[in-house]
Amino acid sequence: MKVLVIEDNKELAGSIYNFLAAEGYICELAYHFEEAREKLLLFPYDCILLDIMLPDGNGLDLLRFIKQEHIQSGILIISAKDSLDDKVNGLEGGADDYITKPFHLPELHARLRAIYRRQKLEGNNLVSFNEIGLNTDTLEATINDTLLDITKKEFDLLLYFVVNKNRVLSRQAIAAHLWGDYTDNLANFDFVYQHVKNLRKKINTARGADYIETVYGLGYRFNASRT
Amino acid sequence: MKLINKITYWFIGIVFLITPFTMYISYTNIKKKIDEAEVERMKDVNERVAEQLKSGEKPDRYALGRPISITPVQGPLPVKQTEVTEANFYNEDIKRRECRLTVSSFYMVNETPYRISSYNYVTKSDQILSGMINALVIKLLLIILSVGITARLLSRYVLYPFRQTMKIINNFDIKKKDKIELPATTTREFKELNTFLEKMTEKAMEDYASVKEFSENASHELQTPLAVIRSKLELLAETDIDACQASLIADTQNAIDKLSKINRSLTLLTRLDNHEFATSDDIKICRITKDVLAVYEDWIAHRGLQVRTDLCANVPVRIHPTLAEMLLNNLLSNAIRHNIEQGMIEIRLTPSRLTVINTGLPPEIPTEELFLRFKKSNQSADSIGLGLAIVKQICEVNQFDISYAYQQGQHIINIHFNVAENTAPQRVTGGRAAVT
Repeated sequence: MKVLVIEDNKELAGSIYNFLAAEGYICELAYHFEEAREKLLLFPYDCILLDIMLPDGNGLDLLRFIKQEHIQSGILIISAKDSLDDKVNGLEGGADDYITKPFHLPELHARLRAIYRRQKLEGNNLVSFNEIGLNTDTLEATINDTLLDITKKEFDLLLYFVVNKNRVLSRQAIAAHLWGDYTDNLANFDFVYQHVKNLRKKINTARGADYIETVYGLGYRFNASRT
Repeated sequence: MKLINKITYWFIGIVFLITPFTMYISYTNIKKKIDEAEVERMKDVNERVAEQLKSGEKPDRYALGRPISITPVQGPLPVKQTEVTEANFYNEDIKRRECRLTVSSFYMVNETPYRISSYNYVTKSDQILSGMINALVIKLLLIILSVGITARLLSRYVLYPFRQTMKIINNFDIKKKDKIELPATTTREFKELNTFLEKMTEKAMEDYASVKEFSENASHELQTPLAVIRSKLELLAETDIDACQASLIADTQNAIDKLSKINRSLTLLTRLDNHEFATSDDIKICRITKDVLAVYEDWIAHRGLQVRTDLCANVPVRIHPTLAEMLLNNLLSNAIRHNIEQGMIEIRLTPSRLTVINTGLPPEIPTEELFLRFKKSNQSADSIGLGLAIVKQICEVNQFDISYAYQQGQHIINIHFNVAENTAPQRVTGGRAAVT
């Protein structure tokens, strides 16, 4: 996947670059409005990460430009403004999704993947890893083609793990992914623990490998090298 | 009452009040003038008769056929040369009261004092009065009619700029960035009003924009560094670290989480203060309650709480959807977090109020104080202490009344919507929905 990151904060852009590069994506950075415009005209990208507040322009104008030029990239808006106007304007302007700062990198990645899936793999909503199959359309999970009896939350959790395999997922990141932004107070750790435990049990029962491991003190990791 | 009606009524009232006085004045004036003229004339007649008498002529030429009498008087001449008397009596023939005016003049003719008296019937005062009253009725009717009509016609013209101004002010929206444009007028008061309104709205828009900008900046300038720290920590967690380092990272992450939430909550409170969530649409509060409840299902189950709901369907409440969601989110998450194991939550929704009841430990500070920012009761150090402040602020912005009581081991939060109860909603969902 080729990604253009338009973000004026160099440290944050650097973090995103590191994270995405480790996934094997081709990642390019643009710190300014003009720089981004040039890159967009010259090269095709699968996905664009677009910060709304840029030093020399508004990200929403850039969004308009992208639509005008008929650039067929998925667009994920990053904004520090938690204001509803921006969200509505962004999505109405043709962005695919919206994420607010401070986000978790795995969350950003998961959303990017979701956009990419919708963008490229038309009609094919299957995410698979070894024996695990996840249908993002029907929310059905299979292990070795046997249907797994899991709740919607557990499905989301498993998908989050599979997309972010070999990554440390903190409990906060998991809680934020499962319960969203406003359900602030759910970062209840044994609660996340409960969900992960249930999921592992169900995968085990279906004779799947125990990929999910605990990272002491931090959270969990989907270890792809386990068998 | 319309301004123009008020002015008309006042005007007519004043006319009614003044009329008796003017009538009295004109009545006495008319009467005085008539009498004066009559007295003058009769005096003159008396004078002539006296002259004739003095010249030795027979006064017949004048006295003949005239109501005049010449009588010699005893004693000296009175000091006053003329004497005017008025006699009122009832005339049987024409069946009305009459007034006779008598002017007596005294003269010395050939050493003998004479009295020469003329008299005449003058118009009686009631007759003048009744004539005036007749005229008055017509006059008043005319005044009322013309005042009524001209007031309406004039108001259309004179008050036009005022009405335009009202219309523009009514449609004024502080969020739209365009200034108001008021119609030009030549009336000084309206000019002043318009300048005042233009200044006020401009100031309001500036204030609104600056507060909005501040909250956006506060949000942006803080959330970006937080995003940097969080992402760097996440990258750090990916590296080869030991347990001790991991716990350091975890603690830092918790702090960032809290900081981000506080920042977001404070920004939200500022935006609530700034009334950025105005809405003109009603939403169904019961649907949102169910949605939010569904989100918390897992957590409720995890804590083994029993939930009872009694929700009236179709309760329209005027509130921004985002705020409604936040309100219920905060109320429910509080009810869950501050509950006891195997406790209970009850949510009741009627057309006029929403009540959330939950079991829990008694609060350590007075319940009203829990609405203050960063005020926390005991336990749950993981909360940031802004939830109820936000709830209260949302209620204030939407003019809901909120109360918080602790009774017999139960926390009771009551929100009164203050809506006109126009529609009678059906009660659909009822009974117990136990979640275990």
